[in-house]
Amino acid sequence: MEPMKTLMIAVLLSVIVAGPIAKAAAWAQENASAAAQAEHRRLFRKGAKLWPVYCNTCHNARPGSEKASYEWDEIMMHMRTLGNVPPDDARAILEYLKTR
Amino acid sequence: MNARRFPKLVLFVLAVAIAIPSARVRADDSSDAKSLRTIVRELKRLERDRSHDRDQIQRLEKRVDQLETENAQLKASSTEVKTEATQTAQVVKQIQTQQTQSQASPQEFSSAIDRYLGSHTFSVTGAAGVDFLYDQQPHAIDGIPRGSQNTFALDWEPMVLYRPADWILFEGVGSFSFGQNGTGADLSLADFQIFLNDYVTVVGGLFDQPFGDWYENQSPMWVNRFVTAPLPFAVESVVPPAEAGIQLRGGMQWGAEGQDIDYTMWTGTGPSFSEPVPGATVSSPTPIRSAQTNGKSFGGRLRFYPIPVDTDCGRLELGASTYNGKWMGDRWFTSWGVDFNYFKGNLQTRGEFLRSYRSMPTPFAQDNREGWYVQVGYFLNGLGQGFLPEVVQKITDKTELLVRYSGVNQHSVAIDDITGAAAVVSSGVQVGLLPDFGLSGSPALFAPHAREVALGVDYWIAPSIVWQNEFDLELPRAGGLFTNANGTSLPVGSTPNDRAFLSQFTIGL
Repeated sequence: MEPMKTLMIAVLLSVIVAGPIAKAAAWAQENASAAAQAEHRRLFRKGAKLWPVYCNTCHNARPGSEKASYEWDEIMMHMRTLGNVPPDDARAILEYLKTR
Repeated sequence: MNARRFPKLVLFVLAVAIAIPSARVRADDSSDAKSLRTIVRELKRLERDRSHDRDQIQRLEKRVDQLETENAQLKASSTEVKTEATQTAQVVKQIQTQQTQSQASPQEFSSAIDRYLGSHTFSVTGAAGVDFLYDQQPHAIDGIPRGSQNTFALDWEPMVLYRPADWILFEGVGSFSFGQNGTGADLSLADFQIFLNDYVTVVGGLFDQPFGDWYENQSPMWVNRFVTAPLPFAVESVVPPAEAGIQLRGGMQWGAEGQDIDYTMWTGTGPSFSEPVPGATVSSPTPIRSAQTNGKSFGGRLRFYPIPVDTDCGRLELGASTYNGKWMGDRWFTSWGVDFNYFKGNLQTRGEFLRSYRSMPTPFAQDNREGWYVQVGYFLNGLGQGFLPEVVQKITDKTELLVRYSGVNQHSVAIDDITGAAAVVSSGVQVGLLPDFGLSGSPALFAPHAREVALGVDYWIAPSIVWQNEFDLELPRAGGLFTNANGTSLPVGSTPNDRAFLSQFTIGL
């Protein structure tokens, strides 16, 4: 009888806790989405500023429309190594190139 | 008093007494009648007003009834709309719930596609070009025959990028060329890059020498503003062009946006030379003479960017490099260099100075050499706006004018390196050095004190498609030695002042 009681209490507690947890998870997901959008906007603005300066230092800056998104992933890794571009600057330029 | 007259008087008095009130009454009657008429008129007017007001009230009452009816209808409609909206929202919510429960979100869909296609990506970039070279060689140089020549050359340098994950990249660059030497194929680069963290990247394999700015950043044919390389990186290079080994590198921001600093450290196979004589061609990682490549190399480069982007003052890069290694047993080869690059708007300038020292076997003295170049380019776009014809304006908007001065100083040049570069034979007689892709073929390039002024006109069809035209003036200074393989040296006499024209169409893939 005692295990049955414990089980019932556990089930009851789970039901009580499940609702707030689900709400918290949804809230966290919404917040994460908003944060991701804000980060995208920040990187895009920074990338738009850095792209003509950093790229033109060695060669003509090529527009984002020239390559597919996955190609920019590869090229930006290559350029980050070659130019020793600071990581956040590289992310910003990549975001800008992939968005255009 | 007369008795007879008395009754008459009395009668008269009585008559008057009676008549006066009567007259007053008649006058009073007339005034009341007027008042009555006025009152009657007033009453009639009031009656009319009342009647009018009653009509007005009736009309207003009707209007109020009508408005109340309309209001009631509107209330009913509003309730209906609210009900419908609530129902619609419920339906939408149901659909969303169903979609969430039963179908993939866009992120999930993308993820599913990625899983289907795989996370590995692969692409081919690089460059390709066709080159026309005309080299006028009016003078001989110490018995080396030559002659003016012109030829076409082709080159394709595909770069393969393979990205297994976001922390690792493999790159390979091949070079397939066709020139007067025939068809050639070469592996220029093959390395992997591992991004350990934000500040350290490991590069291993065959890579461009990270010395200065030229080999790594300026040597691709569509990136180089000229057709040829500046003299310190051309046929008589001061430091080897490539290395097989491993690097650690990275960059970081030290101040405002754009104020960066970066480092590269590497170790590799080490330098080798074509001959154990002064002035021999330096190479790595391919040992020109394997017996002479014994020591490993180590190098370092630091680059500094002092100008913040927000100041709109352009971008300045200042760099310093060193590359050192042993060759032929315990003999040292050491080198250092400094470089700069400044870019703002239509203007771009860059330059490098580098020096190397090589300890030599007996009986030779230390073999020192140095080289430099300074280059200035200016885009004409926007220039002459308004007064040039539109057709001319369209051309100038894509045109870049360039000038470059470069030179090399070395005590000696290995004569075998020059003759080894010359394979065009006519009836057993050598007739000239070989022009090839990016090389005019002028023997003046092999002079101990080579100097070159290069003038360029680049027409940019697109950011990575360019038609380049270069006119070279070879102006080597007299002096120095030609040394043969057994160490016998001859003073260099004449200085060939060649002219060369190179035209190249190239595309960055």
